[in-house]
Amino acid sequence: MSTLPARSMRRRRVRGTNPLEYLKRPWMQLTLLASFVFLYFPIVTLIAFSFNDSRRNITWRGFTWKYYEKAFNNASLHDAFVNSMIVAGTSTLVSTALGAMLGLALYRYRFPWKGTYEGVAHLPIVIPEICMGVAMLVFFNAINMDLSLITITVSHIAFTIPFVAVVIRARMAGFDVSLEEASHDLGASEWQTFWHITFPYMVPGLVAGALMAFVLSLDDFVITFFTAGVGSTTFPIKIYSMLRFSVTPEVNAASTVLIVITLSLTLIAMIMQSRWAKGRQE
Amino acid sequence: MEDWRKNKGAFAIFLGPASFWLLLFFVIPLILVWVYSFGERGPQGQTYLALSFENYLRAIEPIHLGIMLKSIWIGAISTAVCLVVGFPVAMGIAFAPSRWKNPLLLIVVLPFFTNLLIRTYAWIAVLRTRGFLNFGLEWVHEKANWLFALAGFPAALGEFVPLELLYNQYAVVIGLVYVHLPFLILPLYATLEKLDRSYLEASLDLGAGQWRTFFSVLVPLVMPGIVSGALLVFILSMGNFLVPDLLGGTDSLMIGNLIAREYGAARDWPFGSALSFMIMYPVFIFFVINAMVARYRTRRRAEV
Amino acid sequence: MKTMRGRFLPRISRRAFMQGSAAAVGISFAGSAGRSWSAEEKRLNVYNWDTYIGETTLGTFNARTGIVVQYDLYADNEELFAKLKEGNPGYDVIVPSDYMVEDMLALNMLTPLDHSKIPNIRHLDGAFTNPAYDPGMKHSVPYMWGTIGLGYRKSKVDGPLVSWADVFEPERAKRYSGRIAYLGDMRAVLGCALKYLGYGMNTTNASEIAKARDLLIATKPHIKTFAEDNGQDLLLSGEVDITMEWSGDIAAVMEEDDDLTYVVPQEGSNVWVDNLCIPTGAPHPENAHNFINFVHDVDVHMEIANTIYFATPNKDAKDRMPAEYTENPAVFAPQEVLKNCEALLSVGEHTRLYDEAWTAIQAS
Repeated sequence: MSTLPARSMRRRRVRGTNPLEYLKRPWMQLTLLASFVFLYFPIVTLIAFSFNDSRRNITWRGFTWKYYEKAFNNASLHDAFVNSMIVAGTSTLVSTALGAMLGLALYRYRFPWKGTYEGVAHLPIVIPEICMGVAMLVFFNAINMDLSLITITVSHIAFTIPFVAVVIRARMAGFDVSLEEASHDLGASEWQTFWHITFPYMVPGLVAGALMAFVLSLDDFVITFFTAGVGSTTFPIKIYSMLRFSVTPEVNAASTVLIVITLSLTLIAMIMQSRWAKGRQE
Repeated sequence: MEDWRKNKGAFAIFLGPASFWLLLFFVIPLILVWVYSFGERGPQGQTYLALSFENYLRAIEPIHLGIMLKSIWIGAISTAVCLVVGFPVAMGIAFAPSRWKNPLLLIVVLPFFTNLLIRTYAWIAVLRTRGFLNFGLEWVHEKANWLFALAGFPAALGEFVPLELLYNQYAVVIGLVYVHLPFLILPLYATLEKLDRSYLEASLDLGAGQWRTFFSVLVPLVMPGIVSGALLVFILSMGNFLVPDLLGGTDSLMIGNLIAREYGAARDWPFGSALSFMIMYPVFIFFVINAMVARYRTRRRAEV
Repeated sequence: MKTMRGRFLPRISRRAFMQGSAAAVGISFAGSAGRSWSAEEKRLNVYNWDTYIGETTLGTFNARTGIVVQYDLYADNEELFAKLKEGNPGYDVIVPSDYMVEDMLALNMLTPLDHSKIPNIRHLDGAFTNPAYDPGMKHSVPYMWGTIGLGYRKSKVDGPLVSWADVFEPERAKRYSGRIAYLGDMRAVLGCALKYLGYGMNTTNASEIAKARDLLIATKPHIKTFAEDNGQDLLLSGEVDITMEWSGDIAAVMEEDDDLTYVVPQEGSNVWVDNLCIPTGAPHPENAHNFINFVHDVDVHMEIANTIYFATPNKDAKDRMPAEYTENPAVFAPQEVLKNCEALLSVGEHTRLYDEAWTAIQAS
């Protein structure tokens, strides 16, 4: 028994790296690289096709910028894009807040009929999209609510809440409750404890949940279609409608622009953050 | 876990808003289609309300059960592959320096900002007979042949035969894994991120190898994340219909396709609703039983 | 009776019927003529497929009338139906296909048209003015039409294809095993198989449908996939050499590749017509009439036909179109084949027969 620590010490010295710095291990780097290739291979092809001088994304016919020009001048594409962003942005904000609270409550409290409650609250994940789309359409008609961006957003919030809750709950599992108790013992109010102890702990879960809600909302076609009214065509509706004829490279161009914008914003944010961190260190 | 009566105010604040939203904008609409599932289809595809179990009886006909089993199977395989691909990614991000975490997360999710249909089309361009993957393989093949020729074995590898990668179940699994990766990576990351590394250090210090530490310390610690992510991927894969439609062959009908057709071309909303609820009932029951087991356990613990 | 109704009737009988019904149409509209629509706001909500209109059509319409068009999109007839079934969310003009017009009519989902406000329907070919699904065009005006047929790669197929047998008969399909794609549409595929077997496309006879089903199950091993409206892409990329597709889609890829061509098999096939209609409860019916009339203006219509490359029912516009359009087999199928073609009609409660057959085919 007594030799064990010594052996691990030796091992650590031999490798020269901290055993927990997985990112520095070649096998990890290789797997990560493979995963990123898998993630980005199709994206690279779709970007490549946005420069293809053909009306369809099949064979390479030479380089052109024309689909970017077309995409920029295409008012309906523009509208669809803006609509999608409005819906995805709003629903992500609301569903992250509501979903986080739900996840926290399910993690923390014991209450009567909890099993039934959980069963129902998780159904939006399980329900086939088209079934939910039809249900929402019938419901909005029954209560005489005009279909619009609002009805789309409301439905998106409803079906993304449980996704956020699942992430938050997974995050909270194993949370050290004694931290909260200590805070209470030191005289902090319920609210103060939440803001200073529980909330900071939740943040990575919130980020993950919000990204999930955003992707779900941005990509949703079926529920969006059924809850869309006059003038609320979103990006997915636009693309699915193109399917009957041909999905044009304009869509690839628009997608590429979105990727480039997001990437540059991320880079800018990272640079600013590192400068800010440096400034603080000095 | 604490009893709700201990702090009714906080309980109401946390559970209230989401419950209200889900009740109004999910449960009530759901009840409407639930009522539909007992209805009958009119000649033009109207929905007549009735109290008929015919739709459910139809849903458990062997042909429909077979489709359901196949969907479960495909969903399970996709989930397994997703775990293998997604785990290292989630771990890589969770163990990265903290200022890298969010940007890395975004980079992983970024491909999913492009539309699902466009992404799936891109996979077609990659996988088809004259697709990029086959072009790459052909290039490798050519070079290898050239090397063999240099070594004195001309045409040792023969003619290049492109692989038939598209329009089969493998393509469907690849597509499903790709489409649902974020639903595994994100919950897993959220759990891995908080992992107390001293457990791992302790395990290593006590002489367990990396793999042993991984399987007997790390995996059990992040089980909630694995379960959540895997469940999300499984459920979403099972019900997907676009991927089998676009990447599948003639035998890739899944339950999601069938339901989409019942609400669409067949215009049979009652049967579509019954099929949908056939998926929802087991999940609902799972949660109820799960809660009962949990309550039983806490009670037992209290008695002991 | 059903098949008679579905046949693409020769022009003469249509025209004769049209003359007879013209008076009736006039009378039925006398009542609504007094209603004032002049105070309508300058807006119009059109619900249609994306890119299923000329590139400049909406702009020109706005310039001429001052009406602002909101152009919204759906992806197929069934979506359109589902969306309007529970009440019109505010659309003025929709573009359902033939069988869908019939079903919508049965459910009172369409507003009768005032032909006096659509004088441009005089440009329509007589073959289209009295469709079986809406006698006398009382509720619909044909917009574009086309057929379902086989698109194929000439260099990879032995001789010109003429019969459905090459894709439906297992023994013959074997030659092209793994190089054939069907449509993913149950009525279209079963309908063409029924035509091949010599039955009607709209049959409600269970044993006929069962025979079509068994034929398709037997041929399935040779079929690569059921293409989800992207068969033309599979053909162009060389993934398959024969594909069952809508005519206009093949016309579009033929422009890119000379080796591709299109044929409507001799046994006959589906001929479909998309129609301009005004749904019940449309907020701007006056503007909608105005728009439908505008679409059939010869110059405007030529621009549309030129963009979307489907066959036009507007004879005066067609006459002024270039030969590459009017003589393209993938746009206008030859008359002798057309006479064997049928329109899809609603099969009402018998839809379930088709649905179950289709599930059996896909699950086998």
